[in-house]
Amino acid sequence: MLIVPLGLSRGFRNGIYCARNLNRVLAPALPTAYATKRLISIKPDFSKFKLTPPPPGGVVGGVNDAYKPPEPNHFHGSYHWDYERITAVSLIPLTTIPLYTSLSGGVVHPLLDASLCVMLILHAHYGFMSCIIDYIPKRKFGLWHDMARYLLYGGSALAFYGVYELETNNNGIVDLIANLWGEDDSNVYMFGRN
Amino acid sequence: MLLQLGLNGCYRGVVRPSVIARASRTLGKRFNSQAVKTTFEKEHEILVAQRGNRPVSPHLTIYQPQLTWYLSSLHRITGVILGSGFFAVTIAFGISTLFGLGLNTENLKNYYKEKVPAWADWTAKGTAAYFFAFHFGNGIRHLIWDTGKELTIKGVNRTGIVVLALTAIGGTALLFK
Amino acid sequence: MNGLVKQRVAGGILRRGLATASQTPRLKTFKIYRWNPDKPAEKPRLQSFQVDLDDCGPMVLDALLKIKDQQDSSLTLRRSCREGICGSCAMNIGGRNTLACLCKIDQDHKKETKIYPLPHMYIIKDLVPDLTNFYQQYKSIQPYLQRSTFPADGKEVLQSVADRKKLDGLYECILCACCSTACPSYWWNQEQYLGPAVLMQAYRWLVDSRDQAGAIRKNMLQNSMSLYRCHTIMNCTRTCPKGLNPGLAIAEIKKAIATD
Repeated sequence: MLIVPLGLSRGFRNGIYCARNLNRVLAPALPTAYATKRLISIKPDFSKFKLTPPPPGGVVGGVNDAYKPPEPNHFHGSYHWDYERITAVSLIPLTTIPLYTSLSGGVVHPLLDASLCVMLILHAHYGFMSCIIDYIPKRKFGLWHDMARYLLYGGSALAFYGVYELETNNNGIVDLIANLWGEDDSNVYMFGRN
Repeated sequence: MLLQLGLNGCYRGVVRPSVIARASRTLGKRFNSQAVKTTFEKEHEILVAQRGNRPVSPHLTIYQPQLTWYLSSLHRITGVILGSGFFAVTIAFGISTLFGLGLNTENLKNYYKEKVPAWADWTAKGTAAYFFAFHFGNGIRHLIWDTGKELTIKGVNRTGIVVLALTAIGGTALLFK
Repeated sequence: MNGLVKQRVAGGILRRGLATASQTPRLKTFKIYRWNPDKPAEKPRLQSFQVDLDDCGPMVLDALLKIKDQQDSSLTLRRSCREGICGSCAMNIGGRNTLACLCKIDQDHKKETKIYPLPHMYIIKDLVPDLTNFYQQYKSIQPYLQRSTFPADGKEVLQSVADRKKLDGLYECILCACCSTACPSYWWNQEQYLGPAVLMQAYRWLVDSRDQAGAIRKNMLQNSMSLYRCHTIMNCTRTCPKGLNPGLAIAEIKKAIATD
């Protein structure tokens, strides 16, 4: 049985034609499908990465069928919303106090700095997750949605590690921003510092 | 025509099927159409095929610019940019420690002070200052809305103007601190 | 000369039109979205029509029907009550979603008015959107009174004046879909997000003191998409032609289930 390698068959049409005919001559008992299609293929399956098109006209089911909501899950519903608001509210004092401290020339306590960073990472995580759910929905993007989620979780984990680094081997995020912003404000009168 | 609609079975007991058939033929001749005997499934197939051709009406391009959705999209955009910046810095520190690349506050500060040109410095600081001021102010506006207050057209406009004003003032204050 | 004057006067009286119609017509351009399902390969386009404002009623619906009547009878639109109560003529006029029968024509005839169908909807023809999905979503929230127990005397379920007042601003919704199709979140996630109109009706039933299925109703919204795609953009309240406030209703739902 003559087997023509998969990739090369495109190049020689004649080759495959000869091979097929040769095969028919040489192995008449075998089904000809064997010559052109192998049982195991090394071609990767990209179908999972395709976008799912919306149903025609956006209509699912009959005109009198109700929309079917997903199974209730409090963690995706109200709990998630609660966590979002809690982190947002906690960020108000956690940003204003270090801002004030830094602007008046003081040093921010490492624990305060760390809690600011942790809350900020969570807040940004929830924000990005909201964007992913809005713009890369699972019903349309399938696998890409999952990949985006993993990327976000991975990024957040790395960010936590980075914050740990910032607090332990460096002076924290507020100090970093203050340094990058410029310390040259000795001629500015601010918040009671003389 | 009537057969196509599937009405052949449900007449109100007064008009006989033969009368309906004759009427549909007359109407068909007048309007140049033909009654085709078909099934619900085939009609449904036609409907689904028609649905597939339908265009989607324009949205972003034609909707009137309003404070409501403009400020909301600005909130999201500023959030994404600030968040990406923050993640970029913290992830950079994380990766640098993992792979021993030697990033720390000191040499980042030195690199920034020496290598980054003035225009980029001003752009970065301006972006960070104004975006942060806006996102902070609008965030508080969102939290006020979550309590149920100021959720009227007047309230939305009022709080929106206040947030824009505070952004201008606060952003400038942060930028020139 | 005499004959000419008589002719002109007679013509002026006999001519069909409003008494305000003058000799110089105030022509206003309307640019209307057109798409024909019988020729699906042709892309949707904007077609210009000129209407004499002195010979037309004050509302956009008057202009549309005048165009359909006198210029292009293939212009397709939904309309019924012409008084803002049925919700059929909802469309996007001048960038805003509103009812054509309640939207006054901008009397500046030098400006053109653009008329589009409701945004991000599948279009059946011209200005007619497919509202099937919208109605399916409305059906899913079970918009009817549900009770397990009934009054012992077999008479009506009583409701206090204060409880009835809670329904004001909610029951008047005519389901025109202006608010839902004004919401960017609904644009991007129409298939899963219920939209302000349906959510306001869900709230209407949640807050109805006679209804006993509150827990079931709240449970139906406990997922990431049905309710929580609302990011308080507030386009809905801004555009409601009946002056209702879906954004507030949604915020109240979120508050109600936050501690569940």
